[in-house]
This record gives sequence, structure tokens and C-alpha cells, in this order.
Amino acid sequence: MLGLAIRRLLTFVPLLIGVAFVTFILSFYGPGDPVRLIMGENWASEEVYQNLRKQYGLDRPLPVQFADYLWKALHGDFGRSYIQRVRVGEMIGNALPVSIQLVLVATALITIVGIGLGIVSALWHYRWPDVLIGLFGVITHSVPAFVLAPIVLVTLVLKLRIMQTPTGWHGAFSYQTLIAALVLGAYPLLAIIRQTRTSVAEILSQDYVRTARAKGLTERSILIRHVLRNALAPTLTSLGLTAGYMLGGSIFVESAFAIPGLGQLFFSALKNNDYPVLTAATIVSATWIMLLNLLVDLTYGVLDPRVRQ
Amino acid sequence: MTARVATLAPTTTRAKMRSPSRAALRRLAANRMAIVGGLIVLFFVFLALFGEALAPQDALLQDLNRVSEPPSAQNWFGTDELGRDFFSRIMAGARTALLVAGLVTLISATLGTLIGLVSAYARGWVDAVCMRIADVLLAFPPFLLAAFLNATLRSPVERRLTSLASVTGIAALGSKEVIDFIVVFGGLAVVGWSGYARLIRSQVLSLREREFVEAARSIGAPARTILFRHILPNSFAPIIIAVSVNFGNAILSESALSYLGVGVQPPTPSWGQMINANLDQWRYYPHLVLVPGGVLTLLILGFNFFGDGVADALNPRQSKR
Repeated sequence: MLGLAIRRLLTFVPLLIGVAFVTFILSFYGPGDPVRLIMGENWASEEVYQNLRKQYGLDRPLPVQFADYLWKALHGDFGRSYIQRVRVGEMIGNALPVSIQLVLVATALITIVGIGLGIVSALWHYRWPDVLIGLFGVITHSVPAFVLAPIVLVTLVLKLRIMQTPTGWHGAFSYQTLIAALVLGAYPLLAIIRQTRTSVAEILSQDYVRTARAKGLTERSILIRHVLRNALAPTLTSLGLTAGYMLGGSIFVESAFAIPGLGQLFFSALKNNDYPVLTAATIVSATWIMLLNLLVDLTYGVLDPRVRQ
Repeated sequence: MTARVATLAPTTTRAKMRSPSRAALRRLAANRMAIVGGLIVLFFVFLALFGEALAPQDALLQDLNRVSEPPSAQNWFGTDELGRDFFSRIMAGARTALLVAGLVTLISATLGTLIGLVSAYARGWVDAVCMRIADVLLAFPPFLLAAFLNATLRSPVERRLTSLASVTGIAALGSKEVIDFIVVFGGLAVVGWSGYARLIRSQVLSLREREFVEAARSIGAPARTILFRHILPNSFAPIIIAVSVNFGNAILSESALSYLGVGVQPPTPSWGQMINANLDQWRYYPHLVLVPGGVLTLLILGFNFFGDGVADALNPRQSKR
């Protein structure tokens, strides 16, 4: 187990540096000279320009600049926003916990709904509940979050009038968050249903399940003790990956529900070409995905001894 | 391959000559959801081809005296914030959606297939470099990376292309549409190829150990022949499955980028961009958001139904249905 952990960490660190490097190169050399971008219309003189370059450390060689950026980023310093003149680290620090809570609520929801529907699908394999659930899954997978959000808003606020126009963050256990999490979880739900359905159906046809039936166990205890224990490991993997990618999906949900999270931050930075914020938000969300992958691999190692080798 | 089997066994009756691809087509035709999906897709392909000619008005024509009007006999879906006929714009959006999705899928599938083939066949450091790059790209949230690429690379691409246009004298190179499409395709293809490359790589790694490849190698066939005559044709089924399952996602990506404001730029009609432009008005003009959203969803649904049908038909044992 320790060996697996060490091996995974050895791939994690270079991957993180790779991600940071790609993002750094793109944001500092893609849009053009950052000093010119900041000075913009207020172009004073060549001398001021050179001084600013020196002040921001842009006259140093590229590897030095990257190492400096990475070192500071590890300490939570991502520079200052071009637009708001605030520390980017602080903006991320305020926004990230909100988004992670939203993602975790959505993950909890699709865990319950997805695994439940997957089991029902497997038990009624190829019969009408299975077909209906499959159809439901494909439909929720096909409605983009930025379409589902306005549909939900129009229905709840304008037609049913059971809700005010949502703004801000009301904590993880408010109904506004619940609705936003439902919208966020709609797309990945299908993968969880299918994964559960496939592995439960496969294990139901195994010999040891027949043996369990033959010795007279109830269907209930077969399902819980013999089937689910073995079937849910792959679903766990999917859930981990899903929780990783949902942080990226939060951009669509947060912009529609006005939730002040990382997605909202990215969305407004995109409008304003605020590159330090874009860079930091991209690196942070990629790190979240990699951390969850790491967690999934290690959990899998605990659950399945064969992976440890 | 089909023809060769048929010539080798000329005496067999038609019923026994079921080639794998014909059997797959039959399974596809028997799948009702796939047929529904295929019909939806065909409808939108028709709109993309002839929508502009059939539309009641020019999708770009503004009439500032008739801004944000409700649906009427003259404007079936009303008019948008610049007084353009919304029905015509919805019809024109089909072309943008299908064009971007089709080309992005083509580029990323081709690029991914080539990289995967070379990577798996060469092994060693080539493989290591390609797969580490793929690892890095797969660590990003796909939409975020695509949006980020679009935001950062638009201005340098614009600069290069305008200078190229002035050097070559081809003004079209510097036009806004060309820049739009190159940036959007490029961003989405960079994000998209890595999945295909991994799929093909694993396929090739298992195929290259098989007897027929060993036989080809033993008679001295060059690597190019082995790759393109023996290994690639045997990898077609997984590629087709991946393409048909991913096509809905490509449509989603185009509209998602437009929704974020970094995709195809207005006034080129794009459904995602229409949702973005009208989202802050959803309380007053809900149809300006719901109609493009509904059309977009219908098209993605069509592709997903069809794609699942293709996957089931080509892969009967691992049927998802």
C-alpha cells in the first residue's frame, strides 16, 4: 500500500508542474506583453515601460519567472488581479470553498440517485423500469447546465412562484444550493447509473451469487452483502472523477444562479481578460481534479488488494 | 475485407454471408431510439444546409424599431435585442453548431488516432512524451481549458493571421470568421485529441501482439504497411464508437464556449451565444433563452440516442441497453 502511495505521488508532482507550466506559458505569452496590457491606453514612455517590466520581474529569463511563479503559487500568492487590484490568492480563497461545497452536495446527490437508479436498472434488466431509467439518464445528460438552469429558474420563479430569484451563497444545506447542485449533477448522472447498472448486472450473474441463492439467503441480503460490496468499487472511481470534473462544470451553474464561487470568478475574469485570475483558477481546478484522481487510486488500492502490486 | 470473404466462398447462400458491418447495420436499424436520434440529426443537417435559404428573414438583419418583440405571425419566435428575427437566427445557428462540431470531431479524432498509432507502435520515449502530454491535458477541466485557450490565444492568432493576410494579399485570411473558427477549432481539438489517442494506443498495444501482425512482420512488411493496412482497419470499430458517442459532446462544447463568450463571436448566430446574450433577461423574455436552449438540447439528445445505438450495434456483447 505504501509502495502504491509513493508511486502515485511520484507521478503527481511532475503532472502538477506540467499543468502549471502549460497554463503559465499560455497566459503570460499568449495574450502579449502583460505590461502593455496593464498600461493599455495610458502609455507614458519607453522608460516607464522598462521600469514596470523590471518591477514585475518580466526582464528575467522564462524558467526563472516560471520557478518564481510556481514557488509563490505554492504559498498561495498568484499575483494581483488586473481589474480589481486585489490579491488573486484571496479571491480564490473566498471562492473555492463555496464551489467545493456545491460540488460535494452535487456528488452526494448523484451518489444516492445514480446508485439507486443503477441498482433498479440492473434488477429489472431490459424491462420497462430499466428502459425508462436509461431514457431519463440520456435526457439529463443531454440538457446542458446553462440550458437546465434557466428552465429551472423560469419554472420555479415565474410559473410556480415558490422561489425568489436566487443570488449569493446561502450555505451548503439551503434549498438554493440543493437546486443548483441538482443542475450541476444532471450531466454526470448518466455515467454513474450506467456504471452501477453494468457492474451490478455482471455480479448478479456470477456463480457465487447463485451459491448464495442456493443456500437460501434472502434477495435483500444477497444484494447488500454479496453484490453491492463488489459492484460499487468501479462506481466509486466514476464518482471521484465526476467530483473532479464538476468543479469545471460549476462555471455554468454559478453564473446562472449568481453563486460567488470559483466558476463565477472564472466567468467574470474571462469577460475582462483578467489573466492572473484565469491562470490561478485554471491551475487550482486542475489541481482539484488531480487530487481526486490520487484519492480514487489510493482508495481503490485499499478496496482491491490486486491494484497494490 | 467483406468482398474477399464473399469471393472465397461463392457457393454460400446470401443469408449465411452476414458480414460484421452488415450485421451491425441491421442491429442499428432495429434500435428504435437510434432511429429517432438519427431522424433528429438528419432534420438538423437539413436545417444546416438549407436553413439560410428557407428562413423567412436574413438572420443578421437588424430592425431597431422592433426590438425584443413577443412571438407574432410575422416573427414566430419574436425578435431579439437588436430587432433580428429570432426564428431565422435559430435556423442559422444549426449550421454553426454542426460545422464546428463536425470539424472539431474530425480534427481531434484524426490527430488522436495518428498520435495514438505512432505512440503505441514506436513505444520508448516517443510513447512516453505523447502520453505525458495527454496526461497533462486530461488533468484540466475540458471546458475551462478550452475557454482558457480561446481567451489567451485569440489575440496572437489574430495578429499572425492579419499579417499573413497582408503578406499574401488574401483578405479572407484576416477576416473575423476565419479567426473565430481557427481559434475555436484549435482550442477544442487540443482538448479533444488526448482521449482518442489513449483509446487507439491501448487498441494498438493489444493488436500488435496478435498473430496476423506477427505474420506480416515475419514476411518483412514495413512498419507503415503494418500500421495502416493491418492495425488501423482493425481499430475502426472503437474509433467509430468514440466518434459517435462524442459528437453530442462536441455540439455541447461549441455552445458552451459561445455561452462563456469566447466561442464563435457575434453576429455569427450560435445558440450558446444567444443564451448568453439573453440570460440576464430571462424574467422578461424567457423564450429568448428557452428556445435556443431547447433546440440545442434536442440536437444533443438526437446525437446521444444515435451514438448509443451505434455503440450497441458495433459492440453487441458489451451492450449498454
